[in-house]
Amino acid sequence: MTTPLLAVRCLGKRFGGLVALDDVSFDVAAGETVGIMGANGAGKTTLFSLIAGNQQPSSGGVDFDGRPITGLSPDRVCRLGIGRTFQIVKPFPALSVLENLRTAAMFGRAGFRDAAAADRHSRAILDELGLADVAERPAGTLTLSGQKRLEIARAVATGARLVLLDEVMAGLTPTEVARMLETLRQLRATRGLTLLVIEHVMRALMDLCERIVVLHHGERIAIGTPAEIGADPRVLSVYLGAGA
Amino acid sequence: MPETLASAGASRIWGGTLAALALALGALPFVANDYAVATGLGLLMWLALTQSWCVLSKMTGYVSLGHVVFYGLGAYLVVVTWQQWPLWLAVLAAGALAAVFAALVGLPVLRVRGPYFVILTFGVAELVRYSILAAEAASGTASRILFGAPDLVFIYFAMYALAAAATLLLAQVAGSRFGHGLRSLRENEEAAETLGVPVVRYKLIAFVLSAAIPGMVGAVMALRSTYFVVGQVFDPMISVTMIAMALLGGGDGTRGPILGTLFLFTISELLWANAPLAYMLILGAILAGFVLLAPDGIVGIAAKLRARRSAPTKAPE
Repeated sequence: MTTPLLAVRCLGKRFGGLVALDDVSFDVAAGETVGIMGANGAGKTTLFSLIAGNQQPSSGGVDFDGRPITGLSPDRVCRLGIGRTFQIVKPFPALSVLENLRTAAMFGRAGFRDAAAADRHSRAILDELGLADVAERPAGTLTLSGQKRLEIARAVATGARLVLLDEVMAGLTPTEVARMLETLRQLRATRGLTLLVIEHVMRALMDLCERIVVLHHGERIAIGTPAEIGADPRVLSVYLGAGA
Repeated sequence: MPETLASAGASRIWGGTLAALALALGALPFVANDYAVATGLGLLMWLALTQSWCVLSKMTGYVSLGHVVFYGLGAYLVVVTWQQWPLWLAVLAAGALAAVFAALVGLPVLRVRGPYFVILTFGVAELVRYSILAAEAASGTASRILFGAPDLVFIYFAMYALAAAATLLLAQVAGSRFGHGLRSLRENEEAAETLGVPVVRYKLIAFVLSAAIPGMVGAVMALRSTYFVVGQVFDPMISVTMIAMALLGGGDGTRGPILGTLFLFTISELLWANAPLAYMLILGAILAGFVLLAPDGIVGIAAKLRARRSAPTKAPE
């Protein structure tokens, strides 16, 4: 068996008495797209913060490409090849869209030392995400849909091999969701990305992912293909309240 | 706002203005009387301080209200080592002392943001001021007199070199990869860190870089006053003036501090000489006006005017 690109091992996080994440384990193979499902407060964003180094776990650890990354700062995790988006978008508002990507291209795994080369790399990604027309606009002036795309563009521009997408479709219209799915498929194909996706838009998740992890109150209650998850009695009981 | 948006024509005009200013200030001691040279020295001092302050505060958004501490430490070092160390060594050591002090307090202090950072830097500066006051009082030296300090023209050119060095430093930082990382963390620190910017290290480096020249400026100015009082070289008004000049200038490049320093320094000199009573009132009104109406300073006003002028010609494209 080959080493998975990402191995989450018995990961736990407590905030005082509150258990945000409890003994969660799963693997993501290179090139795979895995979805994370769960209600609000199930621990999805905490999981991302632990993987990306924004928070440190209380127990367990994370391996990336066969080496432990637990305890590393976010910038080091990024340079190793993990990019993340934020559910609540965090653009650099006064910088242009292109300058937003320049940061990622210069400081991420891509590591361009020279601004001109970083900008060439960045413009190609802006093209793929349909942001080429607004490249010179201050990022703060984009629409929500545009800022969500900018989040993805920046994460990809770091040269990441694994991209963590945190609800990039939340708040978008159905047409925008369809466009976003198309964009993600293309990115995955052209750049050989591995994706870990948190999403509330269920159809999108079922559509995009090969496997899905279901979290409930910080625990992993199911893992499997979309079809398996759709038929899992525990998932159904949690989601539809059967037997409650 | 980043200055990459400035047009080529405007930067040519700016380059010419800057060269003329550098030449005029360089020639001043050869053509003017002592009063004018002393005034020029004041201008150069504020230029060096404001440019240095911007390396930290404009680039990272961490507004230091305690930069006078570096100035004061530099001045104090020169006074304490007076006639024991060669002057050039004392001045360089003043820069090193300021840098080391910044590195030591930087790690804890740079962990807090926004108003907390502002108050903390102010507190650190006051703490150092009162510590040194207490040490001086305990040793029985309320003030010191420096005999045999170098003449005004020597001091003037030393300050000229420091002002030029501070301007070059800020230009270098603003145009570099390092500077882009600082701007990113100013805009959103968590996002910058997640995109690979080593924010903790970068903030500390910026803090150290912005401290060294003020240390040397303080050292050189100690030679000028010849009569040393602790309260004077640690005066919080020095910190406030740096901020006011940088805010009036605007932008995060070198032209904001230059324009802001020239503007505020000229107004201060005129008002001080002609209307000493109204001085503080008018100064306060100007500052309040800028903060309310033109938060990005003179550079921001210029950028807006340029945008307005070029808007109609761009429309048909």
